[in-house]
Amino acid sequence: MGLRSFFDRIEPSFEKGGKYERYFPLYEMVESFLFTPKTVTTAAPHARSYIDMKRIMTYVVIATIPCILFGLYNTGLQTNLAIAEHGASGWRAAIIDGLGIGFNASNPLANMLHGLLYFLPIYIVTLVAGGFWEVLFATVRRHEVNEGFLVTSMLYTLILPASTPLWQVALGISFGVVIGKEVFGGTGKNFLNPALVGRAFLYFAYPAYMSGDTIWTPVDGFSGATALAVSASEGAAALPEYGITWMDAFVGTIQGCIGETSTIACLIGLAFLLATRIANYRMVVGCLLGMIAFSSLLNWIGSDTNPAFATPWYWHLVMGGYAFGLVFMVTEPVSGSHTNLGRYFYGALIGFMVVMIRVINPAFPEGMMLAILFGNVFAPLIDYFVVQANIRRRARRNV
Amino acid sequence: MAQTYRNMLVDPMVDNNPITLQVLGICSALAVTSSLQVAMVMAIAVTLVTAFSSMFISVIRNQIPSSIRIIVQMIIIASLVIVVDQVLKAYAYEISKTLSVFVGLIITNCIVMGRAEAFAMKNPPVASFVDGIGNGMGYGLILMLVGFIRELFGSGSIFGVTILETVNNGGWYVPNGLLLLPPSAFFVIGLLIWAFRSWKPEQVEEREYRIQTVESH
Amino acid sequence: MSDKDLETNTGADAASSNKGLIRRFLDTPPDNTSKTVTVAVALCLVASMVVSAAAVSLRPIQERNSALDKQVNIVQVAGRYEPGMDVAEAFADFEPHVLELATGEFTEEFDAYEFDDRAAASDLTLSTPLEDDPASIGRQANYVTVYLLRNDDGSLDKVILPVYGYGLWSTLYGFMAIEEDGNTIYGLQFYEHAETPGLGAEVDNPRWKALWRDKKLRTEDGEGELAITVAKTPPPQGREYFVDALSGATLTSRGVDGLVRFWMSERGFEPFLERVKAGEI
Repeated sequence: MGLRSFFDRIEPSFEKGGKYERYFPLYEMVESFLFTPKTVTTAAPHARSYIDMKRIMTYVVIATIPCILFGLYNTGLQTNLAIAEHGASGWRAAIIDGLGIGFNASNPLANMLHGLLYFLPIYIVTLVAGGFWEVLFATVRRHEVNEGFLVTSMLYTLILPASTPLWQVALGISFGVVIGKEVFGGTGKNFLNPALVGRAFLYFAYPAYMSGDTIWTPVDGFSGATALAVSASEGAAALPEYGITWMDAFVGTIQGCIGETSTIACLIGLAFLLATRIANYRMVVGCLLGMIAFSSLLNWIGSDTNPAFATPWYWHLVMGGYAFGLVFMVTEPVSGSHTNLGRYFYGALIGFMVVMIRVINPAFPEGMMLAILFGNVFAPLIDYFVVQANIRRRARRNV
Repeated sequence: MAQTYRNMLVDPMVDNNPITLQVLGICSALAVTSSLQVAMVMAIAVTLVTAFSSMFISVIRNQIPSSIRIIVQMIIIASLVIVVDQVLKAYAYEISKTLSVFVGLIITNCIVMGRAEAFAMKNPPVASFVDGIGNGMGYGLILMLVGFIRELFGSGSIFGVTILETVNNGGWYVPNGLLLLPPSAFFVIGLLIWAFRSWKPEQVEEREYRIQTVESH
Repeated sequence: MSDKDLETNTGADAASSNKGLIRRFLDTPPDNTSKTVTVAVALCLVASMVVSAAAVSLRPIQERNSALDKQVNIVQVAGRYEPGMDVAEAFADFEPHVLELATGEFTEEFDAYEFDDRAAASDLTLSTPLEDDPASIGRQANYVTVYLLRNDDGSLDKVILPVYGYGLWSTLYGFMAIEEDGNTIYGLQFYEHAETPGLGAEVDNPRWKALWRDKKLRTEDGEGELAITVAKTPPPQGREYFVDALSGATLTSRGVDGLVRFWMSERGFEPFLERVKAGEI
């Protein structure tokens, strides 16, 4: 209890009238991170639940663990495979050489370690840069630093390519936190997903670093197309020619952002989130149905000039960021719809848009990020119509 | 007269800026601010159109039948805009190619119509002219600020002169492509409005509603 | 307007009948119907006079600008451009000809100085719809204006060929300069496009444009196979037929590849380039 009594001792100086009153949010952040918050709701509507904000956020982070682990492995695997062909360079290679581990792609541990050397710098920069803005706004605006940032920073890291320059990482998360969240009043008032806002900023600001064939594996001279890029230009049927089977994509040993390649890891996370009722199944169902319905429709319509029309739904599921977005972004409660019926429509809209962007838009092979942001924007409108329909229905009943 | 000429010129810069306070003329501010030179030409064009249209409208303000008031204003503004467009095509061809339809769209710029209707219809010609200059410059000031940020960070240059050598030309600066796309002006203008209103809190609009807060202990 | 107002108006009119016409008009309240009509007509007359005066008096300068703009590009692609030079004078060295693409022969049917390539490309009688359309242009013009640049001794130095095709967002219009051997590229320059700034718009980047210098259109082993390509990896024929694609702009690069290969093929300038190669021009 030494720590607890330390906090108890210093707490008064952070409270109203105390010496460091201004820095209360900072104190609160550290304290509530380590201990259960003491504050309880005293005013009228009491909702009884074992779940609090902090637990929700912690659960989401836990749910990403399979993706993190697989992401580490796959990043290392792809890098080690590329190094076998193009040679190694840089400080990461020096560390691995120094440890005597080597670049053996068939050694899972060596892969994990190599992946970690890419994951950690990005994650640390994200925490520092994003955390800076969080604390700054919390201090100026006198609100608490929210655990939501831990989720945002983890998701943001997982949807970046491993080769992203660190200054871009910092810039992206700054934009995501400030423009995506804080200008609207902070956690709970953001109508867009801040991690995606940051990612979208990088995508449009530095497209040469965020798309193409050379960026997915951080080795000079390497070039490897993502499954999505291949399917956009030649159709999903051509994927096996590039050595990508459906199973590869499902397991996740393909090119892509750090944590998004493995569908199975995402699904494990989804099972956890559904079991703990953090994620709302309606959004997931809607998003799946929307994607399956629209991609099947496009399969049926067919196109002579656009091979992507023929991409079947089970490929859409495993390619690009669909599964990751479905599990961790579509289900995000703040930026999604808040009515149960609306959640189906919200999910379906995203499912429809993602196929639309992937297949029909020539410029953006990956559509999940843009589709979710689009869905975020429409979520309040969907809620509005659901509520209006409800009101009308009830009014009719009572005439 | 309630306002001095000096006030008419200075007020629209910060205290009553057409873009940041009244949030008018946003469309063209998005479209023409990817380079400073173009932004400057646009600012000058709008200033001249606002000033002269206000002046001409003010000259005939007592003769304008109220039933066709708006149409009369539109005709005067539109004629001036066409003249400006023609002059640009003749003497600044490159820039007029970049500005393309946006010169023509000065007609629909709310600032011009707004000043004609709100000021020129009630005030003498010279005052209207000065008011038009002031508002045009208030618009131009924001346009130039946005253009400065977008050109410097989007292409690494100011007025086409390279400041930050970009990677594609062998330098170190990675240009921010987002700033070259029109939507980025939304962010820049939004941040400018934020900055202006933090500096002058009296510009903050009253909330339309209050979010209920629950007291916690 | 109420009846009372009308009465006062007539009264005022009667009282001012000995004043000048203009004075009387100005004194009329603006909401009188006849005044409304008069103001509207007068304003429209004045406005249209101002507008047409501006348009007519500035037209010659505008037309010169527009022509100059194209000339600058032609002079630039041929490597004859220096900042501040008299473009019109440099352009005088270029010899325009209207070319019939199918035969590769010059035609005297049109005046080369007046021929409008853009109009001809959409004119149903002067263009052919395309079935197989790698440049995504829909219709191909039958006649285009090409420019010849000669050395002092009258021998051919370069030919400047107009090319266009669809990129990602827009049709790219440009010129390609070919050396007198009819096979070596001197340069490629686009003067009009709306590709993504920073990505596709890098077609304007001098570094990328410099990649085209001295590349070959066709193999020189007698087969004469069209080999030039814009891609991420060199074609099997070798690096002299290879221009590195713009990074991050797959579709613009593909568009440029498509349009260059289309215009340099048998359906494009090949018949003409054969004649250049044979020294007939």
